[in-house]
Amino acid sequence: MPVKWVLPWQPNPGMTVNSQILSEVSQCAESLGGVKGGRWKSTLTFYRPMVRDLTVPTDCPKDFLGLALQDRPDRYYFIVRGRIVVEADSAMLAIMDKLQSYKARVSLNFEGLQYQVGDFLLRVGKVIPANSENLRGIMMEVEYLPISSLETSRQIMDDFVDLWREALSRRSLPGHFLHLEPNFAEYGLSNNYSPQHTTVQYAAVVAQLIATIRS
Amino acid sequence: MECVVQGIIETQHVEALEILLQGLSGVRKERFRIHELCLKSGPNLGVVSSELRIMCDLEHPTPAWTVRHVGGAMRGSGAEQLSVMVRTMVESKASKNILRFFCLLGYRLDHELLKVGSTFRFQRGVRITVSVTSVNKVPRLHATEEAVPVTPGIQLVEVTAPAAGDNYNEVAGAISSFCEFLAPLVHLSKPGVSTGIVPTAAAAAASLMSNKSL
Repeated sequence: MPVKWVLPWQPNPGMTVNSQILSEVSQCAESLGGVKGGRWKSTLTFYRPMVRDLTVPTDCPKDFLGLALQDRPDRYYFIVRGRIVVEADSAMLAIMDKLQSYKARVSLNFEGLQYQVGDFLLRVGKVIPANSENLRGIMMEVEYLPISSLETSRQIMDDFVDLWREALSRRSLPGHFLHLEPNFAEYGLSNNYSPQHTTVQYAAVVAQLIATIRS
Repeated sequence: MECVVQGIIETQHVEALEILLQGLSGVRKERFRIHELCLKSGPNLGVVSSELRIMCDLEHPTPAWTVRHVGGAMRGSGAEQLSVMVRTMVESKASKNILRFFCLLGYRLDHELLKVGSTFRFQRGVRITVSVTSVNKVPRLHATEEAVPVTPGIQLVEVTAPAAGDNYNEVAGAISSFCEFLAPLVHLSKPGVSTGIVPTAAAAAASLMSNKSL
């Protein structure tokens, strides 16, 4: 599958995100000659363990994440941060539900519009809790359609993101898109891009968003 | 959700049963050699203790992993009157690291089985699957090559069909009718209700085998 970078919006110190920034970013995509496509949406869910006795230490992670991707509707992805990423059928959600060992606590929707700029697909969107419209962050996916190798595509992805940042800088927005470059090898992932790579990036983006909100 | 009945047959009569199933289905049997890992939730994890099965069919050239959760049987007077068990069953394909994932989540490997046998599939209003299985226990961690039969000389026959809340009566009826074809060789009943070996099995098997040689 084509290589993809997932970049969160990093507000300048003391600044917060707002819908005006999202609007400016979308306009910037169009100003680069981006052809507006359909809407896109991913949903990331936090799972927390259910324990019978809170006073007894339990050998389990404090949470893990589940990710539903719009372009893989029959699949679901789980990640224990820093440890493992797995792919399963979406039926795994029913199994997790029946096991009653972990509970889905909070879900975040990543949703917005898609633009095609030459061989690049650009998805710009907002991050909002599943049950509200409170803007928690802004993010962007950059997908380069001809290449699936992370290493081979690195230069052209870097060049495109530089071009994008330059275009965006003319609008004097209070922040920038951050490329996090998670360590895919830590999860045993190869150079060949897969939805598991996307999952690792979403986990990194969410960690960054939480750190930003806390600071 | 699925409807299920089970029975046992002596290994010496399995070939006859397969001839019968082959004749009924008209399609070739599918062989399987499934490495099944049964996991249980660790102490204190979950509202109640839970278990799941992770399976890999070693017969396939590229191993594919499946997670299966079998829930409790349907209860109540309606369920008791049925000759089949109706229970929840959910399966999901998963990547090869799924065992490690559940171990990280706090599940513990309870035991391993190697299930070797054949499957026959039928379309009789509902999709019925018959499996004939030799169940083997794996004595050491992942040592499937050292597996030994749980019940030497006896194999498990299982008839299942997918069902839903609005059609399980119809599916149960279809399974019951189908089981009549197999009655001379194997008696099928709800799991956990042992009915033993059919006394007529030897004669029925001999008859089927003699027809084969004609």
